[in-house]
Amino acid sequence: MIRIVAACVIGAALAGGLAFVGTTVATETSSSAEPVNQSLYNYGDR
Amino acid sequence: MAVPRLNAARAERLLPWAVGAGAGVLALGPGLGPGFMLSYDMAAVPEPPLSQVTLGGGGGFPRAVPSDAVLGALGTVLPGDAAQALLLMAVFTLAGAGAGRLLPGGWAGPAGSTAARAAAAAFYVWNPFIAERLLLGQWAMLLGYAGLPWLVPAVGRVAAAARPAGVRDAARLVPALLPAAAGGFSAMVLSALAGLPAAVLGARGAGRALRAGAVLAGVVAALSLPWLVPALGSGARTDPAAVELFAARADTPFGAVGSLLSLGGIWNAHAVPQWYGLPVLAACRLTLSAAGVAGWVWLVRRGGAPGFGAGLSAASAAGLGVALAGTTEPGREVLSGLIGLWAGFGPLRDGQLYVAPLALLQAAGVGAAALWACRAAADSEARVGGADAVTPPGGRDGEGHGDTGSRGRPRTPARSDRAAAPSRSRGLRTGRGRRSERPAASAGERVGALLGALLALAPIALLPGLLWGAAGRLDPVDYPDEWRRVQRLVDEDPRLGRVLVLPWSAYRGLDWRADGRDLVVLDPATKLFDRRAVWNDDLRVGDGTRVRLAEGEDPLADRVGRLHAADLGIRRYTASLGELGIRYILLERRAAEPLSGADAAAALGPLAGDNRFSSDGTGPAAVHDGARLLLLEVPDRHVDPPNDELTGLEGTAWFVTVGTIIWSLGGSGSSLVSMRTGPPRGAVSRKENPT
Repeated sequence: MIRIVAACVIGAALAGGLAFVGTTVATETSSSAEPVNQSLYNYGDR
Repeated sequence: MAVPRLNAARAERLLPWAVGAGAGVLALGPGLGPGFMLSYDMAAVPEPPLSQVTLGGGGGFPRAVPSDAVLGALGTVLPGDAAQALLLMAVFTLAGAGAGRLLPGGWAGPAGSTAARAAAAAFYVWNPFIAERLLLGQWAMLLGYAGLPWLVPAVGRVAAAARPAGVRDAARLVPALLPAAAGGFSAMVLSALAGLPAAVLGARGAGRALRAGAVLAGVVAALSLPWLVPALGSGARTDPAAVELFAARADTPFGAVGSLLSLGGIWNAHAVPQWYGLPVLAACRLTLSAAGVAGWVWLVRRGGAPGFGAGLSAASAAGLGVALAGTTEPGREVLSGLIGLWAGFGPLRDGQLYVAPLALLQAAGVGAAALWACRAAADSEARVGGADAVTPPGGRDGEGHGDTGSRGRPRTPARSDRAAAPSRSRGLRTGRGRRSERPAASAGERVGALLGALLALAPIALLPGLLWGAAGRLDPVDYPDEWRRVQRLVDEDPRLGRVLVLPWSAYRGLDWRADGRDLVVLDPATKLFDRRAVWNDDLRVGDGTRVRLAEGEDPLADRVGRLHAADLGIRRYTASLGELGIRYILLERRAAEPLSGADAAAALGPLAGDNRFSSDGTGPAAVHDGARLLLLEVPDRHVDPPNDELTGLEGTAWFVTVGTIIWSLGGSGSSLVSMRTGPPRGAVSRKENPT
């Protein structure tokens, strides 16, 4: 059981690390979904 | 000092807490360090005020009561950013722990059970609902979401108890409702939606159902008084036209229905995580949600959700129905009609909110799927290697159910159908709770547990956009010194008077991020001071090429809006503001300076003139004139000091609510939910009907 918990932790760390790297790379290469350069902002857009 | 050994039972109990807390760390990431996470409605401020206004005084619809007061109370002992981080971590941790606790004990071996609880916890804290609501800044509502897995089974136990629900049961429900009580309006509405069906459907007979429902309604009302009393006296209105603006929408390739079923579908296109709509990820998430529903059906049919299975199913269906109603023309007409009839139906306009019970159902179902996997793997192994090799002491499916509570206490089999539950625990615990020697986990058990572990990781892998501050969107920022200076200037003034927040629009794009991107947030000035802020609570929503407006709820804001439209001239404008009790005008320069023409007139009123933002003696005088903020003071002779203190009724409401909490904690111990529940429903039935 401890091995399962350890596997969970290691797996989560790996998944988290990979996703973080992917996130960072993609954030730097893609444009933001947020509105920019407005003066008065909407609560949101549908 | 001896370190407690991490035995299987302890790991099974603690892992969901760890999963919740770990998910919180992964999701908030840098936000747990210094600085404030600001996003749409989440406008945390330094030294958050704890004043009569944050407690509900001053009029206006109390949307932030008592959540801002809770933040203010924490702010008295912690820095404002730490208080915010603590509350957000509480959301994840409580949600994860509660979801993991929903599953029955003893349906698999220790490894399988632990993995199943981890899977349920992970799904509940890492799904599109929590991601989108977090990005929309609705942390107070998420407190209610975190409380749902504690509330629903607690209500089920009260409803199914041997004796009809009474006052003592109310004391047991209060702790489960505390997170929602701290969250306020939306959190409580959500809790009522999830709890009432469990109360009614979990009881035997109409009379008991009514009593259980009444007890829950009474507790919800008692804990809602701090915002309910000001709300009833606020004269607030809700714009029925807003139904269309805030209806759920398709944010995946699978339409509104598919989006809602996979717990997405929020109305705001800017509140979705990065890569959320990628077809592969969306398809996998929908599949996981479907697996959750299937797992839930499997669990309920085998009695794995005693007392609350039918209730949670009904709440999920009702919530999904409300959410779907906003996506069809007839449904929108019905909702608009209801809101027009009574403003209290206003919360129904944000339909996606109500898929929260479905998230809980799916989370429990995903955990159940892990339990099922353990069983299937063990059965498969039995077929290959012979029953004796894999059947745990105590028998196989259908031979008994030694259900073990989440705290390791044995339970009496609750219902006859639970006797058919896939128990693996009889050999692990004796009927009186004495621990017998644990057999080593079988190969099947290990396979099932591994599958459960994969299910626990799947939500994170399928929604990577929530990682590390939602891919940077929740990166913390610090307030410029000027903001803190203005806060001190106003708070140190002992004279009564409100603060008008300009430009006359609620949301700002602040350039405080290191990367230069604007962060969109409710103007923090609305929460910065210990006195009433008056701001434009009309909600602008972009819909295609148009910007549409949902009228706000604050009557005072409505009066200020009319002043702006009346073109009064600076003298009369200033005097009129003073008559409304406004002493200060705070103007954010970066939002105001680009405005021109009609936009400027609407957003700044007479302050939009050529000599705007400067005092020439005829209007308000500048007491702070900085690069970012301009603070103007209305001449004292014009200011009619307002009374924004709590009324006697509002004070009494707080007294009742706090008294109820103290009484319940005294009666039920300090845990979030009392475990001293009555005997399970089925067991009682046997006592009453020995035949």
